[in-house]
Amino acid sequence: MAVRTLFIGMDGATFTVLDHLTADRPGEGVVMPFLKKVMEEGARAKLRSTPNPLTPPAWVSLMTGRTPGHHGVFDFIRAEELGDDVYFTLYDARDVRTETIWSVASRAGMKVAALNFPFTAPPPKDLNGFMVPGFIPWKHLRRNTAPKEFYDRLKTIPDFDPKELAWDFDREKQSVEELSDEDREQWVRYHLPREMQWFKIADYLISEEAPELMAVMFDGVDKLQHQAWRFIDPELAANLTEPYELRMRELCVDYFKRLDGYLEKLVAAAGPDVQVFFASDHGFTTTWEVVRINAYLHEKGYLKWKDTSGTDADIRRDASMFANLDWQNTIAYCRTPSSNGINIRVSHKPGESGIHPDEYEDLRDRLIADLREFKDENGEPVITEIHKRETVFPGEAMEDAPDLLLVLRDRGFVSIKNKEPMLEQREEVAGTHHPDGIFIAYGPGVKQGVETARRNIVDVGSTLLYSVGLDVPSDFEGKVPEKMFEPEHLAKHPVHIGAATNAVGGSKNADDDIGEDEKDKIMEQLQMLGYME
Amino acid sequence: MAIERSQISQDLADILNEMIEDWGVELDEPIGDSTTLVGDLEFSSIDIIHLVMAIEDHFEHPKMGFNDLLMEDGKYVQDLEVGKVVDFIGSKIKG
Repeated sequence: MAVRTLFIGMDGATFTVLDHLTADRPGEGVVMPFLKKVMEEGARAKLRSTPNPLTPPAWVSLMTGRTPGHHGVFDFIRAEELGDDVYFTLYDARDVRTETIWSVASRAGMKVAALNFPFTAPPPKDLNGFMVPGFIPWKHLRRNTAPKEFYDRLKTIPDFDPKELAWDFDREKQSVEELSDEDREQWVRYHLPREMQWFKIADYLISEEAPELMAVMFDGVDKLQHQAWRFIDPELAANLTEPYELRMRELCVDYFKRLDGYLEKLVAAAGPDVQVFFASDHGFTTTWEVVRINAYLHEKGYLKWKDTSGTDADIRRDASMFANLDWQNTIAYCRTPSSNGINIRVSHKPGESGIHPDEYEDLRDRLIADLREFKDENGEPVITEIHKRETVFPGEAMEDAPDLLLVLRDRGFVSIKNKEPMLEQREEVAGTHHPDGIFIAYGPGVKQGVETARRNIVDVGSTLLYSVGLDVPSDFEGKVPEKMFEPEHLAKHPVHIGAATNAVGGSKNADDDIGEDEKDKIMEQLQMLGYME
Repeated sequence: MAIERSQISQDLADILNEMIEDWGVELDEPIGDSTTLVGDLEFSSIDIIHLVMAIEDHFEHPKMGFNDLLMEDGKYVQDLEVGKVVDFIGSKIKG
């Protein structure tokens, strides 16, 4: 058995940064020489992310070939409206309503490996191959690694350290508590060994198991860009002069250099006959202001803050700002910063809080009109796009989506804090998500040195299945980007549309709710990633 | 057919033992009804989320309604005895 297709995910990778790092510039030279070669000898396209360009919906769309309205994952946090309360929990793999490419390929008898992808825990029971999930604490890697005995094999890899490999909530919490220059520097350093851990597992699997579909995701790109954007973005980094700034730039450059080395080694290990694809879940850009959306909705009378008694727990809860509201007197609110959405509370039983279903359309129209009136001191609108959910999240899972999706003028994530002013300049610009990520194809059968029209993130799943020699399921929304492949290759390997995917289990209910401490931890984590002010 | 309480107890102990295998937790006695998740097994709240996932997965019952067990009077419980979890699972999968 040999690797046929290698997929390397890079969370948050964006061409604005990668083009800079692959150019030969005075001082730094070519930071990513291998990626430069790949881009020169391969085909590339911008990759349009999901309507809310966010890790959970975007990676799940990439893995399922379906849009969020179908796969059902919209955010890190899942919430359920339960009468006079709202229960929050985390999304996990069981919430994904559509089949992933890992399962589709496994059913076809292909051996697969998927490393560090979010929402792959718990792993699918029909997996034919190997899975080590991403975005979970090290303590739960063993149980969520597939097959189970593979975890013990991981421990035989030299320098394997699950604490370096997995998300460490406490470490991230420590970093976020005081974002001093030193902490920020440590944060960048923290990700250097993490990527090496994932690289080593991928390298091990390629050499020991040679799965036909081999996939690994490096998420440090996103994390660095959130915390150190001004040292990475070409325009912002051009103005660095202070010793600390230059040191941070050097550290970030070192990260990308090392990453480039991992990419080169993995592609070499996979062999010359392998098609290689690189993609990100979204791109990156600069956010310069804070938009306190729930404060605005409060001013307009849509929500009421929860009265708190001032206990330590209350203070902690308020500080975490996990939509801590008086639910009985709230009819529209934003649940989480990362959602960039507004949820309308609809009463489904007599006596329940929320609006009557008959009032829904009128209320939503009024809400849209009010949101359009959210303007800065110069009268310029802060929210540039307001989408109704049936427009951006059509599908059987639409009822779990926010009623409105907002796009801010700087593409930032909203704040849900109870704090004034409602609109404020950031003291320091930061990184935020841009809808255009990257898609690169490289290897035999791929056109050389071309850039094609922008593709959609759902195209990646179709492309990977095509590349590995499988039919594209008829219910996949993504298309194979044929313009990225040589005509001779397409003639020899035409794209086939095959049977639809298998049905998978539906969503859980809100019963496995999480505790206050955990909510705080999640929010700290999201804060660390820049989803909170 | 209902599963015997002793079987549930054994299954849960197996899940917990597997879960904590690498955690470095030192137990004075084997996991039993009186073992506490937070006090004895050093669970944090995210560990409880993963335990819920593992239990629902093992017993093939994705909607057990764990908030009934994890919440008392509108607040989250501070700790939980394994025996209570066993009884809860039994009440949900009986018949």
